[in-house]
Amino acid sequence: MPARPLQLWQGLLLALMLAATLFPVFWLTMTAVKPPIDWNASPAVWIPKEPTLINFQTLFDPDAIRAYGVGGVSQAATKAVFGSLLASIVSTAVSVGLGLISAIGLSRYSTPGRATPLVILSGRMFPPAAIAVPFVIIFSLTNLMDTYTGLIAVYIAVTLPFSTWMLKSFVDELPREIEEAAMLDGKSRLRAHFTVTVPLIKGGLFATTMLVFILNWSEYMFAQVLSNTRLATIPVQLVKYVTATAGTLYGVQAALAVAAMAPLIAGGFFIQSHLARGLTFGAIKK
Amino acid sequence: MTSALQPDADLTPADPAPDGRKPQNPATEDPTAEDPTTEDPAGASLTAQGPASEADLRPAAPPSVASRPPKAQRKPRVQGRFFTVPGQIVSLVVLIMPLLVALYMSFTDWSPTRSSLRDAAFTGLDNYKELLVYDDRFVEAVLRTLFLAVTSLSLEFVLGLTLAVLFLRTFRGKRFLFSAFLTPMMVLPVVVGYTFWMLFQANGPINQILHLIGLAGVEWLKSSNLAFAAVVVTEVWHWTPLFFLILLSGLNSVPENPVRAAVILGASPRQVFWKVVFPMLRPVVAVAFVVRAMEVVKIFDEVFLLTRGGPGSSTETVSLYIYKLAFNDFQLAYGAAAAFLTLTGSLIMVHLLLTPVRDQLMENGR
Repeated sequence: MPARPLQLWQGLLLALMLAATLFPVFWLTMTAVKPPIDWNASPAVWIPKEPTLINFQTLFDPDAIRAYGVGGVSQAATKAVFGSLLASIVSTAVSVGLGLISAIGLSRYSTPGRATPLVILSGRMFPPAAIAVPFVIIFSLTNLMDTYTGLIAVYIAVTLPFSTWMLKSFVDELPREIEEAAMLDGKSRLRAHFTVTVPLIKGGLFATTMLVFILNWSEYMFAQVLSNTRLATIPVQLVKYVTATAGTLYGVQAALAVAAMAPLIAGGFFIQSHLARGLTFGAIKK
Repeated sequence: MTSALQPDADLTPADPAPDGRKPQNPATEDPTAEDPTTEDPAGASLTAQGPASEADLRPAAPPSVASRPPKAQRKPRVQGRFFTVPGQIVSLVVLIMPLLVALYMSFTDWSPTRSSLRDAAFTGLDNYKELLVYDDRFVEAVLRTLFLAVTSLSLEFVLGLTLAVLFLRTFRGKRFLFSAFLTPMMVLPVVVGYTFWMLFQANGPINQILHLIGLAGVEWLKSSNLAFAAVVVTEVWHWTPLFFLILLSGLNSVPENPVRAAVILGASPRQVFWKVVFPMLRPVVAVAFVVRAMEVVKIFDEVFLLTRGGPGSSTETVSLYIYKLAFNDFQLAYGAAAAFLTLTGSLIMVHLLLTPVRDQLMENGR
């Protein structure tokens, strides 16, 4: 269709939708820089007159907020930040690594007993609350409860279908002749995979890594049911702040939420052209 | 038009431009063709032009015998095993085993406060019968989740399509706006739930805006219907971008010739859209609905932070009910049974969603 410019009403509609899209993020960010007096003011304060970073400071030093006469922040979020980083980075690395190997196998070889798409789909559809139950039982028996090892194992297994099918769709797009040409130069088939194919899907590898990282970083329920005192992640800590004070620590909670969201929005920006493919298991290619 | 879809082309120079990569040669275009016994779920039959393939959602189209390469070039079978085995072992140990435990559990009366799983009495289908026949709360949670899925997916589709059609026009700052409209998808579900909890407070900004346009504010989270509406709004905000993204990529790959032909034959823009373009979008729409439907039946984080299923159980979804059964009431066996019922229902639902478009998907798969 020939591209035409927007008409006035269409421009207005677009602006309205944009405002609705960005408003919650704006509100959260503003709350994160509000001093306690503005947190729950009536009428609500949209833009604080005296923006402050005290909420962010409180995340690492729970006593900082006391200067404003606010109590109730008993825990620093430092541990949760490091916990989230550890769990997400390790599980993403392993998931994408295993996924890459599986993707090459599925794309370049005929593999017996491969999982059918329906199995993968049903794995995705199973309510996490229900898988969490046997996890708790098995992890209690094997002393994996409340450990990063246990949580990372869960994250790897849950995201493996994503990394495998997304990477496979990138490998599928590369003609096999490229590898065969490298083999004519005397490389083994295995070396051809890793010295020819892998560098050529760098972009796809990056997008997959980012998407899997986003999934792991955002995960709440497994982290919640598998953690007790030793294990902490940002989503779990956020819910702790909310439940501990019936949600009244607006500013501190919002600061943690912004800290959790910012890297994903930044990272998501770089992979947006691959998001559709990733989230549809490669069904939509661009 | 495609520029809107590749705004990061200059940001990631390392990217070997997969969008522009077209299959060089028909023989390599479809790896499935080489071995008719295997399925190719990633929809490799899709060309760069194709609107969509249902990919993982069905077995690949029957491979064409004509393009099958000579035997020597077929996929080596034995080595492939070494590539997939590590991933399969991880899935088996971490995912399948717990699932089997849960399946067994769902046929017992086990509760961790009473006995160990080994001593639990085998009760057959009692849990399932209880759920379906006597447990009104479960049945209501199922119906509520379905209603939530239908309302929010319809709204997401309408809004996503509107936005995608607007993006077919030219305007300044398109790249930037494209990124901006995708933002909600990147936000963590717990953060979405928490943010909307703030927005929907009685003294929050949503009521303030209502006051501004002369409406009375309401206690959103304290009335059953309004709380449900709040959940729908939250879900729609969070996932409309995915519909937008998928539909825009579908619209951009609609072939130009039929559209030109329709224009030459005197069709109005409206007729062109609804009679020519939209029918070609159907496979893409189906993919969007299936992917979203799978996720929305599991919705938990957002609702948990927004309403905790309340007031009462008026916004309690299936996931929330299962969570409460297992982790608040410790009825693990019963919760597992509820989970398997939900899974069965979801599988049937996805199958039904796919059936009407399956033929079309095959035709348009190219």
